[in-house]
Amino acid sequence: MDFAPILLYWRFIAHALAMTLLITVLSIGFGGMVGVVVAIGRTYGGRLLDAVLGFYVDSMRAIPLLVILIWTYFAFPLMLGWNLSPVAAAVLGLSAHLGAYAAETVRAGLTSIRPGQMRAALALGMTRASAVRTIILPQAIIRMLPPIGSLLVFAVKDSGIASAIAVPELIRQSQVLSGITYHAFEVYTLAMGIYFLLCYPIARGVDAVYRRVAYLGAS
Amino acid sequence: MTFDWSVLWTYRARLLDGLGVTVMLAVVTMTLAIPFGLLLAFLRLSGARVIRAPATVFVEVFRSTPLLLQVYWAFYVLPALLGVGFSAITTALIGLVCNVASFNSETFRAGIMSIRPGQTNAALALGMGRAQVMRHIVLPQAVRRVLPALATTWVSLFKDTSLVSTIAVGDLSYAALQIRSETYRVMEVLTGMAVLYWLLGYPQAKLVDWLHRKLKTAE
Repeated sequence: MDFAPILLYWRFIAHALAMTLLITVLSIGFGGMVGVVVAIGRTYGGRLLDAVLGFYVDSMRAIPLLVILIWTYFAFPLMLGWNLSPVAAAVLGLSAHLGAYAAETVRAGLTSIRPGQMRAALALGMTRASAVRTIILPQAIIRMLPPIGSLLVFAVKDSGIASAIAVPELIRQSQVLSGITYHAFEVYTLAMGIYFLLCYPIARGVDAVYRRVAYLGAS
Repeated sequence: MTFDWSVLWTYRARLLDGLGVTVMLAVVTMTLAIPFGLLLAFLRLSGARVIRAPATVFVEVFRSTPLLLQVYWAFYVLPALLGVGFSAITTALIGLVCNVASFNSETFRAGIMSIRPGQTNAALALGMGRAQVMRHIVLPQAVRRVLPALATTWVSLFKDTSLVSTIAVGDLSYAALQIRSETYRVMEVLTGMAVLYWLLGYPQAKLVDWLHRKLKTAE
């Protein structure tokens, strides 16, 4: 095992890592927004909206992410009539996918707050929107922390699937680097190590935060 | 833009073959990953550190790195490491089984630990051996609690099998991508592939929701 030839390419690897972080962070941002909006729509928006959004969520849970990304990059532009860059397609597909899972997490959090709290807030003269914002959400977010932790880890890992549509992120560039250097063992082992160092602290960190603040979500 | 959807019917035999491989991969992986995952869970619950530590490392590494990278690692590195070559499908199964077994082991561990220790103590006080307690008292109750989580893992696995198309295993997504490059019917073939996965995955996702409701435990 000889990592020296690989480390000559540290800049190349750093760029790949930056791309992985970029598409991960963007998909977490957009996916998180989609998740909150869809969850609130499903919980408080009436039966029709619930059915429509539920169809979106369940479809995203039914189709492999690889298929979603390949479809978004190759087929979707044919429908639109204009081109999508690999990075844009990846962020779009990853966000749509993560958004569905985030929506389920947020919805479970919202519905876990006893309905009496909403009724009490309404009886005190608050509007539904301000009750959700100031009473329900703050408690729900605490309860959602553990599943959010695993969603964040999944977001990091799933960004690697964007390699299939040639986004120059960590897995894609590992393939390139292994082709250049013929050091497949070192390249892929290094990539495994980098992903582990990204994901493991996230999982443990969110757990640690949750343990400290769990009491805030108890009611 | 004109679409020619007949391409899906023309190539139906190959799509169905691919589908067969997808189902086979998922079934074989789960069949092997349940006993393997149970073994890992027992090792992690062991009192001896030398037994617990390697199992913990194995599980955490496979849970904190992308499956796609694990498959590449098994494909490019394992043969060099062991000095034996595997077929693409064996490599795919090795990657999938290690990954799913790691997730299953956490599910089993949580299931076993969710049975109150008082039950084990009571059984031991009645003169049962440790193995007997596990077999007759803890496991039968844990199975019920573990089923919904296992079903969720199954749905993920079914979708994740698509990732092995990257090492040329002829599953549904591989067959579809091949047909796409032969016919240039990008929109039709990719949409057809997504719809096929949806038709299979949607009922599974719904079934999982039903299982979660049905087997909900309240203690």
